[in-house]
Amino acid sequence: MAISPSGQDGAATPATGDGAVIEVARLRKRYGDVQAVDSISFEVHRGEIFGLLGPNGAGKTTTVEILEGLRSPDEGTVRVLGIDAAHHADRIKERVGVQLQTAALYPFLTVVEVLDLFRSFYARSRPTAWLLEAVDLGERRHAQTRQLSGGQRQRLSVALALVNEPELVFLDEPTTGMDPQARRSLWDLVLRLREGGTSVLLTTHYMEEAEQLCDRVAIMDHGRVLESGTVEALVTRRFHERAVFFDTLPGLSVPELEQLPRVERAMLEDGVTVLYTGDVSATIGALLGRAEQLGLEPRNLGIRRATLEDVFLDLTGRALRE
Amino acid sequence: MHALVMLTRANIRSFVRDRTALFWTLAFPVIFILLFGAIFSGGGDTTYNVGWVDQDGTAASAGLRQAFGQVPLLHLEDGTLQASRQAMQKGALNGIIVVPAGLGASVAAASGGPGSPGAAGPSSAATLEVYTDPSQQTASTTIRQVASQVVASLNVTLTGRSPALGVTDRTLQTQDLTSAAYLVPGILGMALMQLGVFGAVPLVAQREKLILKRLGATPLPRWTLVGSNVLLRLLIGLVQAVLIVGIGVAVFGVQVLGSLWVMAALVVLGALSFISIGYVVAAFARTEEAANGIVQVIQFPMMFLSGVFFPLEIMPSVLRPIATLLPLTYLGDALRQVMVSGSAFAPLPVDVAVLAGWFLVCLTVSARFFRWE
Repeated sequence: MAISPSGQDGAATPATGDGAVIEVARLRKRYGDVQAVDSISFEVHRGEIFGLLGPNGAGKTTTVEILEGLRSPDEGTVRVLGIDAAHHADRIKERVGVQLQTAALYPFLTVVEVLDLFRSFYARSRPTAWLLEAVDLGERRHAQTRQLSGGQRQRLSVALALVNEPELVFLDEPTTGMDPQARRSLWDLVLRLREGGTSVLLTTHYMEEAEQLCDRVAIMDHGRVLESGTVEALVTRRFHERAVFFDTLPGLSVPELEQLPRVERAMLEDGVTVLYTGDVSATIGALLGRAEQLGLEPRNLGIRRATLEDVFLDLTGRALRE
Repeated sequence: MHALVMLTRANIRSFVRDRTALFWTLAFPVIFILLFGAIFSGGGDTTYNVGWVDQDGTAASAGLRQAFGQVPLLHLEDGTLQASRQAMQKGALNGIIVVPAGLGASVAAASGGPGSPGAAGPSSAATLEVYTDPSQQTASTTIRQVASQVVASLNVTLTGRSPALGVTDRTLQTQDLTSAAYLVPGILGMALMQLGVFGAVPLVAQREKLILKRLGATPLPRWTLVGSNVLLRLLIGLVQAVLIVGIGVAVFGVQVLGSLWVMAALVVLGALSFISIGYVVAAFARTEEAANGIVQVIQFPMMFLSGVFFPLEIMPSVLRPIATLLPLTYLGDALRQVMVSGSAFAPLPVDVAVLAGWFLVCLTVSARFFRWE
């Protein structure tokens, strides 16, 4: 993720609705005292992979479930594939694929039986063999789902989202519980889907996943969309700098660190201090000098580009993975 | 339609592969009926040990002994009165028959002139003394009945007269159903009750595990989902009915008198009303554990207060109003009337109406309060 100043952020401008598979405007949803979704708006274009990012409780899942037709919105408009999700959810369900975060499956049915069962729910469906191949479950086709590992079960639930050859797929934290290899192969699958013209909305709290897959992302917290756009635009809009990080030194306060040359912001997070700077060598030189005066030595000192993680930290003051 | 077939097939497969569920719904009622049938019907081929005390020692008393010895229900053990009484107190004997001294003489006097006018009314009839233990109800009744029957038929032989009045045994099953005939419809009703009400537990589990939610994200209509769940329970209910009635007929010799179609219809109606109770439980229970608890709370009192194991007439009057509210009372009653022509607690249309009423009320309540997630 290059941090070089690049093109304008296209997501902030309201899209026309042409070529949009999802249009959300001023959507609100409340559960008792909790405003789960607080007047959010965004669009997903046809053929793109769109990521909803945010910590648990940010309102991602509620938003996705409204889009899937599982919940009704309190206020606002929600159109999926041009259809009003609040009133015609049934028409949407035929054309979208849904993978739920924690849904279990029929424990006593085999992989093939579950796939065939779900295929019977739709007017059109993909061949079982295609689905098994897509999620690499061919060898486990006759295993009962209770005998599958967590990652295999997750892959089956992704396959179920693809059963009806959907135009739009919702993936809710699809790689949770997967080992790195399975995660990679799922990413490949998602990219292949996009090549085939399928639009994808995925929620995740893995930064790497969003950076690898998503054409555009929206960052949510406390029921609001804080910012949206391409990953690159989000990063470069905030950080022209690079990040210098080291284990927090007790003697150095944030205001003092922000006085160091070219430092634009200093953040403390989980015992690590992060300085965003326009000139890495000037900042590090000054930092080491100041530390020496105090008789301190910065440990685990390093430099990196800014990432979505930094964007999120900057927006909310919290790390995304909490 | 295809989805309904596939979903029902999936349900059946899941059910058959889940050995625990299979045991509780099919093996359990079978074990139950075998056990209770054996305990309650008891009598079948039991013999009673009876002490034979011959204080007379004549040919007549020997003849009597022979006559009693031919009764298959009795096993005679000779002894003195004292020894026999001790044995009976220890429980080794169920009763004692005493032939008092002088019996032979009285019999001879009575039968002295067969057909002669003087023999019409013997002045001193010979009397057998029969000891039984009133606390052993069945044994004491049986022994006393056998004794009087043997004596009655001997009287005919001795006097050479056929009795003016006789009794011919015919069976008309009304009040005095055999225990098994009473139990089989009751246990069938109980099995259907458990099947239906217990349906709440897998339903809540499916909701808890978000299976219902996942299905809700497909175009599958909800009636199909409910329909296939109900269909599975009805199928199990019919299998249970065949098993339970089959065992009743084959093992306990229960005669099925009514129409099989009417019985099947009652099984379906009963299953439906209990399934709807299960849905009401599922509407209010949030977790599988809670559903399980509520199910137990419903099942156990219903099992014992609905006349499944014994007629409601012998239930304390305090509890009877409860019994008249419970749907199992009416299902058991209806099945009993149709199956074995047992005496009615309520007329059949009333039974049907009560069951249908429970079904409709529960259907309405669960449609109003059931949550899919």
